[in-house]
Amino acid sequence: MAMTASTSSVSFSLSNWGPVSTTRSKIFGPRLGSLILHRHPQESDLDLSLPSTSREIRLETPTFLTSTSRGVVPHLSRDNVKRCESIRWVNVPFESFMESNPPVPTIHPGPDPLHKFLGFNQSQQIISMSARNPCDGRQLPPNGKDTVSVWTLQGVRKLTPSDWQKYATKCQPDVVFALSDTPFTDPPYSQKRMTKSIERSAQWLARLLSSPTIPLPSVILHLAGLSSSPARRAFSNSLLEPLYGPELEAVAHMGIKNLDEGVVGYSVDLVPIRMTIEAEGRKIASTNNTATPSALTPMFNQTRHLAVPLHTAQIIPLVHSSLSSLPPFKLRLINGIESPHEVLRYISKVGIDVFDAGWAQKCASIGVALDFEFPVITRKDVGEVGRLQIGCNLYDEAYQMDFRALSSSFLCQCPTCVPVSTPEGEEIKHGVDSEEYTRTTAIPTHPSTAVLSEVKGYTRAYIHHLLHTHEMSAHTLLTMHNLETLDRFFRGIRGLLTQLENSQKNEVASSLWDDEVSRFTLTYDELASFEVLETARGMWKDVDIKRGKGRLSKEKNEGEND
Amino acid sequence: MEFEVIAKCKTTKARVSRMKLAHGVTMLPTFMPVATQAAIKGLTSQQMESLGVTLILNNTYHLNLRPGLDVLKTAGGAHRFQGWNRNLLTDSGGFQLVSLSKFTTITEEGALFASPFTGEPTMLTPEESISIQHTIGADIIMQLDDVVSSLTTGPRVEEAMERSVRWLDRCIAQHNKSGKKDSQNLFAIVQGGLNPHLRDRCLDMMVARKDGVAGYAIGGLSGGEEKGDIKQCADKLPDERPRYSMGIGFAEDLLVCVALGVDMADCVFPTRTARFGVALTHSGPLNLRLSKHTKDFGPIDDSCPCPTCKDKVSRAILHHTITHETAAAHAITMHNVVFQAQVMGRAREAIIAGTFPDYLQTFFAQYFGKAGYPEWCVNALRSVGVDLLEGNPNQKVIPGTGAKWEYSDNPAL
Ligand SMILES: [Zn+2]
Ligand SMILES: [Zn+2]
Repeated sequence: MAMTASTSSVSFSLSNWGPVSTTRSKIFGPRLGSLILHRHPQESDLDLSLPSTSREIRLETPTFLTSTSRGVVPHLSRDNVKRCESIRWVNVPFESFMESNPPVPTIHPGPDPLHKFLGFNQSQQIISMSARNPCDGRQLPPNGKDTVSVWTLQGVRKLTPSDWQKYATKCQPDVVFALSDTPFTDPPYSQKRMTKSIERSAQWLARLLSSPTIPLPSVILHLAGLSSSPARRAFSNSLLEPLYGPELEAVAHMGIKNLDEGVVGYSVDLVPIRMTIEAEGRKIASTNNTATPSALTPMFNQTRHLAVPLHTAQIIPLVHSSLSSLPPFKLRLINGIESPHEVLRYISKVGIDVFDAGWAQKCASIGVALDFEFPVITRKDVGEVGRLQIGCNLYDEAYQMDFRALSSSFLCQCPTCVPVSTPEGEEIKHGVDSEEYTRTTAIPTHPSTAVLSEVKGYTRAYIHHLLHTHEMSAHTLLTMHNLETLDRFFRGIRGLLTQLENSQKNEVASSLWDDEVSRFTLTYDELASFEVLETARGMWKDVDIKRGKGRLSKEKNEGEND
Repeated sequence: MEFEVIAKCKTTKARVSRMKLAHGVTMLPTFMPVATQAAIKGLTSQQMESLGVTLILNNTYHLNLRPGLDVLKTAGGAHRFQGWNRNLLTDSGGFQLVSLSKFTTITEEGALFASPFTGEPTMLTPEESISIQHTIGADIIMQLDDVVSSLTTGPRVEEAMERSVRWLDRCIAQHNKSGKKDSQNLFAIVQGGLNPHLRDRCLDMMVARKDGVAGYAIGGLSGGEEKGDIKQCADKLPDERPRYSMGIGFAEDLLVCVALGVDMADCVFPTRTARFGVALTHSGPLNLRLSKHTKDFGPIDDSCPCPTCKDKVSRAILHHTITHETAAAHAITMHNVVFQAQVMGRAREAIIAGTFPDYLQTFFAQYFGKAGYPEWCVNALRSVGVDLLEGNPNQKVIPGTGAKWEYSDNPAL
């Protein structure tokens, strides 16, 4: 499925185990795959001599993508991004760059403008580019026939499909998400609105694929249709319809016969679906004059401060209706995940390959250190001590004297838990501070050497302190740890699936998978975990009000005086 | 502490020395970034280490409130608590007590203040300040002194000076009996904001106590003109002790202090200003919030060795993210910390090469351009034999602390 004529291309292949047969249960179940990004050397490429492996990034799936805000991984300077091996795919919502016209990354000089502008390493990270932050559910003015409303700090901007193609080809990310006509006005939406939505989304995909002057990055398509099963099915079917006439000519350069052949994978944004389901529930409740039927899945709080249940049980069949007619071997990606439990559900019941990490990063921003493992190995004892939560709210006074590492189940290898010192002599030198000068003749074995070797990981007590003193370093340390915890979680998932794949007996394998998932669910209490996050968010706000914004503006004034 | 002067400037009083403490060697003169709450704004200790920083400052007053001494004791000291394996300095806590607490009364016994936790009257004695700093475990600790505002006049100034000397004796006694003398080093604080006569008496008494202290801090300076008084202190302080000028952080001030014989300085300015988008460069400060940087794809400073500039982080992306993303503040903070270290590192090189007066000329010319030199710098450097205007006779001289930089907030500019 590799696309030609591009400077990089993404291909995805499934491992043997999994839904190779045509039965429905096999199409939607846990699966292993690999995503390979190949960078084609350009004539201008100075690194033609590089071994081909350095032009290739390989991601085993299931895996996750790291979210960015205004083009950066929140709380991580670039040297820290480099320290995090867990960051291999970053998604860049483009909307913040539309504050200036033309958007600044599109005028960045030289090859690979987006990688260069944002400082991601081409041999380390895949960059995808989406028009909007897929987890932002804030209300926006309606999209137009040929425009999507996007959010910037200077207000709403309108993005057209042809501008989107221009930005994608100029920025040269590795992956671009096609524009989708997802309304963020006032759900629920009429059938007429949904029909328009799927028609526009298909047209905009066709527009993206049609005769770009510069090769287009690989395309991932958002599966339109929100909470309407028929709309979702209709959208998928429209992708498979053979193209004729001018439409076919427009995509002739790609050698494709229908729109689906032009995309490498599919994505589902959970946030707008949940909001629609929620609104429909409210509507039914108000017409029947009864209370809202209790949700089957837990409550959580979105960044937009709206309590919305996860609605996983309702969403899974919706995703099925999108996917059932589409080729099963393409990449499947989900944005808007809220817990590891949810990841496991979408792996078990749908067979999702890539999940956004926004929730784990959000945890780092509100003072929560993630602490869970899959499969559950070291914490099998919990039956006796009560169920665990997926993380610790380090604001809690209980951590004031807790000098343990952040992870209770394994020796986390992240830069927070195992800080790596700069090798001696490799620090930046400023003048007269080389060994020639710092070497002293007297007392060669000073206690300092002993002290230097005792590099230990950062403790819960230290981060507790940083949180309460409103020090930014807390969130840096937590982000690095949470991403590694998530990476380890996905490694555990892939490890188990590989093991089961090798067992060659699908029935046994599938029940072993289910066993491990339920062990995880029994060990880590999902509802209680959401409560931990909720409490942390409340405490984060309190400290922020006390020592954050208010303090910052005070300092600013002081700063101007000195 | 092992302290050794390894080179002296032949014109000015500047010197290069090697200071070996329990957590390694720090070459002087040096600038110390301030980690008030046991963290440099957003950075990890590993990052600070990679920047070539070997000495940072923690504030005793703040650490005593949070995390508190119990936590620090259990953690095994502030070094372990914050994962910092290089040298650390703490202040006495007295200055913050006076400036941050409304009800502080000074008695002969110590500073009486309302506990921030309970509101109960609480006493910070010189002995207690030292023992708190022993628990924190910094390589360099400060005496508790009786701080008076530089605006204070009359008998209170003399009283404070004499009390500070008596408190120094109590601090020395406390430090001597603690058994921490091998790993921690006590500095005396000379009151700088005094009239020349009083300052002279203070210096005499403090120098007489040389055997009890590892170094001298010069405190109580704030306005530009007063910094000239540093000369009087540095001239009189013994050669074989490091001299630390408290609260000095602008590059021009740092270099003047070095020329007057100062070895160490600290200030929150470089890290604080970074958070508001100001990057310090050898051509003067740069306010990255200004919209002129929107499409500027160049780094802050091409020749800067910091991780931000080496990675070619552009002014454009910093402009796009500063004040919205903490990562932008981290990037500029790293740059500013490295800038300060470079200013001092180049000073050390020039002193050793015998070209320090030339370095001063070049630095000021590039840093201020046509903006004019601060008058106090010109005067202070003349007092040690360097005339900044000699090679630059048309340069303006700005009264007081000097030029106004583009610190402006107005994004429309
Ligand atoms: Zn970790
Ligand atoms: Zn720099």
